Amino acid sequence: MGKVKIGLVEFFSLTVLFELGTALVVNLGMGAGRDAWLSILLGCAAGLMMFTGYAYLYRKHPNQPFTAYTRQILGKYIGAPVGLVYIILYINLAARDLRDGSTMLAMATMHNTPLFILSALMLLSGAYVLHKGVEVLSRTSMVFAFVVLGIGLFGTVMLILSGTINLHRLLPVLENGFQPVLRSVIHQNYMFPFGEMVCFTMLMPYLSSVKKGPWIIAAAMVFSALLLSFTMALNVSVLGADIVERSPLPLMPTISKISISDIIQRVDIFVVMVLIIGVFFKMAVFFAAALIGISDLFKIPYRKMLYPCALIILFTSMLDARSFIEHLDEGGTLLYRVYPYLMIVVPALLVIVTAVRDHFSAPRPG
Amino acid sequence: MKSGSNRKAQNAGADSAPRPGQPQGSVPLGLADTVAQSLLHIQTELGGSPDLQIRRIQIGGERRLEAAAVHLSGLADPAAVNEFVLGSLLNHTEELFLDRTDGGADSRGEEASLPQQILSRAMETGEALLQEEWKEIMLAILSGDTAILLEGCRAAILCGTRGGEQRAVSEPTSQLVVRGPKDGFVESVATNIALIRRRIKSAKLHLEVLKLGSETHTHVAMMYMKGIAGEDLIREARDRLNKIALNEILESGYIEELIQDKSFTPFPTIYNTERPDVAAGNLLEGRVVIIVDGTPFVLILPAVFTQFFQSAEDYSQRFDIAILMRLVRYLSFLVLILGPSVYLALTTYHYEMIPTTLLINLLSQRENVPFPAFVELLLMETAFEILREAGVRMPRAIGQTVSVVGALILGTAVVEAGIITPIMVIVVALTGIASFALPAYNMAIAGRIIRFAFLIMASIFGFYGITLGLILLVAHMSSLRSFGVPYLFPFVPLSIKGHKDTLFRMPLWLNGADKPPAQMREEMPDYMLLTTGHEEQLPPLIRKNCRTEEENREE
Repeated sequence: MGKVKIGLVEFFSLTVLFELGTALVVNLGMGAGRDAWLSILLGCAAGLMMFTGYAYLYRKHPNQPFTAYTRQILGKYIGAPVGLVYIILYINLAARDLRDGSTMLAMATMHNTPLFILSALMLLSGAYVLHKGVEVLSRTSMVFAFVVLGIGLFGTVMLILSGTINLHRLLPVLENGFQPVLRSVIHQNYMFPFGEMVCFTMLMPYLSSVKKGPWIIAAAMVFSALLLSFTMALNVSVLGADIVERSPLPLMPTISKISISDIIQRVDIFVVMVLIIGVFFKMAVFFAAALIGISDLFKIPYRKMLYPCALIILFTSMLDARSFIEHLDEGGTLLYRVYPYLMIVVPALLVIVTAVRDHFSAPRPG
Repeated sequence: MKSGSNRKAQNAGADSAPRPGQPQGSVPLGLADTVAQSLLHIQTELGGSPDLQIRRIQIGGERRLEAAAVHLSGLADPAAVNEFVLGSLLNHTEELFLDRTDGGADSRGEEASLPQQILSRAMETGEALLQEEWKEIMLAILSGDTAILLEGCRAAILCGTRGGEQRAVSEPTSQLVVRGPKDGFVESVATNIALIRRRIKSAKLHLEVLKLGSETHTHVAMMYMKGIAGEDLIREARDRLNKIALNEILESGYIEELIQDKSFTPFPTIYNTERPDVAAGNLLEGRVVIIVDGTPFVLILPAVFTQFFQSAEDYSQRFDIAILMRLVRYLSFLVLILGPSVYLALTTYHYEMIPTTLLINLLSQRENVPFPAFVELLLMETAFEILREAGVRMPRAIGQTVSVVGALILGTAVVEAGIITPIMVIVVALTGIASFALPAYNMAIAGRIIRFAFLIMASIFGFYGITLGLILLVAHMSSLRSFGVPYLFPFVPLSIKGHKDTLFRMPLWLNGADKPPAQMREEMPDYMLLTTGHEEQLPPLIRKNCRTEEENREE
């Protein structure tokens, strides 16, 4: 990779925004009912274990993206197709995220704007930022991480002041035992959003410090898990588990409960802003990962593939499903049937191969 | 430079061909052996311009020597020419010649250095030197110096007699303060340098002068504090200045446009000021100051975003007041770029956010207005821009009329005629005033341009457009660099130490013995520095010159 390096603070904020992404506004982990907050934390723990594997691979190959060291570890003939599969995965994830985001936007505020226009605008903005480079993306993310946190703080304080928070709605904890929580973790939470960290294997070569870098990313994961868990707990305590379970974007009705003497009310536009920012950065990170993969695998300059890749993502996102329900259904299937292989099995294989090779080749002094 | 030398070569070529009208046409223009010949050459070069003053004199006592003093009236200081140049030539050369006739017999070598002797023993001016280069002599005459020609000598003595009419140092017109020094830069580079030197009496204050513009030969002075300003910054600034190839440089804006890092951006990446105290302060903080002859606006580089929100007065007021003033400025920038678009988004897309009573009020106002809010806003903003432009360019005497007409027509009549809602007038007026609250005019212009982009985004996409616009804006700004320093420096990349004088102005006792930006820059990790003078980011003209330079070298 080039000389471009990204500072730790920037990487932290990029990771946080990536993790919050769409997860902040949807009903994450509601399979566990009112214990969703717990399943998010457990999911994060599982995600961290997966990330340990990614970090191990990164430490072994600090200057190469994922697609490069697959070739090194598995050989050219197996490694290159594996890399290609990952590029397709990233493009697919970017497209799915784009579809998620623009549909949610259309649901939330832009009822009459065509989905295609919303997606195209978002994607063009992403292409512009990526045209400036990955380090510009990370620097931009820093500013907007502050914006998101500021909005979060504002929302929380306003909810407290409005007196709509009822912590009793969170009780009883683990009403039906541990089963539902575990099921929710296995079905969704370890993968979304924490397993998606696999795309950071493409960005980690930009880290300015090999030693501290993975720790910073792990810290960002924990931080965002705490935020997500806090938000879900907030949702449940304001709306009750029933409404949250049935609402696709529970944060919207939660925030719209804010009402302070008829002046500050219906501030759910802030949630929309958080949604836009989150979707944008998540999509941009996947997009960047795909671009880095393409330029690494096919030796094509990064900027040359920017607009072709944007077009592919745009049309994948528009054509992958006829309706949002189908889109969600597809997503559930992919999450359960396809992603685990790519996010756990292949990296685990790589880790094992690397470790075994290291074990047999290293101790031969002289 | 190139075109100038070409022209000269052509002239010389034309003169070398024998022409009937010109008796001396066979020789190229230059200093000749006889004074008469040289004078003729000077007159020919200048096209017989009537403001060329030639004073022919005879110097020495018994052995007379033909001499002539040449200057341009109006550019040279008459008192200096009379007293120090002609006076010293007429009064002091007699004994010089006595000496020479005494000692002339035993050493013939002395004969050649007669001008040298005049220079060292007779001339009373502070600045004088011997020059043989024809181009330099012409340039000196054209800049107001006096050239002394001597019979039988192929060199001229150049005396520094630059003077003539100049504007006196007066209060700056564009950057005003309530409390603080009231002097401002003027059009003369020498005076401007003096104004800065008067504030920093330090030997570390270095000055480099170069002449730019192949036709205008404008003096451009670069000042910096040795040891405080980063060496690479100085080198980079010098390199970029030297690469400028323009025929004319009439204002510092010409240079600013050529040496900035990136051409296509509304944001200024070089600061300009009319105030010597601001220039001095920035010098002490390790920045480089570029003074261009003929303009009171001095360039300061590198300049980051936050610098355009600082005013000289922040440092003369108490820090708590300064913090408040600064926050107001940042707020007004936000209002400037987002005010109309947020209003538009709220009223057309997200009216549920407006308190009900206000919304009813708004809607009842809108009932009588035929246009959609976007058209209304665009009309009003355009009218306001026209009004402002008219106000700036108007002759002073009728300037009052604009404000009266503007206030009456745009304020009241437009509402009464049912074209615009009253609240729209408030929004536009607030935006307009916010643009005046920024201390840097060029940043205000940038804000005005961006405001229109946001307006369009908000009209089509509401808050979605505004949010995406903000992301694009921040991305664009963080891709900018000013001489290698990231444009959003203390924010992104985040530097806590850099924050002492950005959003807030910390009290001086906290700020006091702090590190200058140069040092902070050195302490910044490598990846934050990146490249100074990134080839791709230089403006096209300089890039082209770089390329031709390299080609020349290869040849």
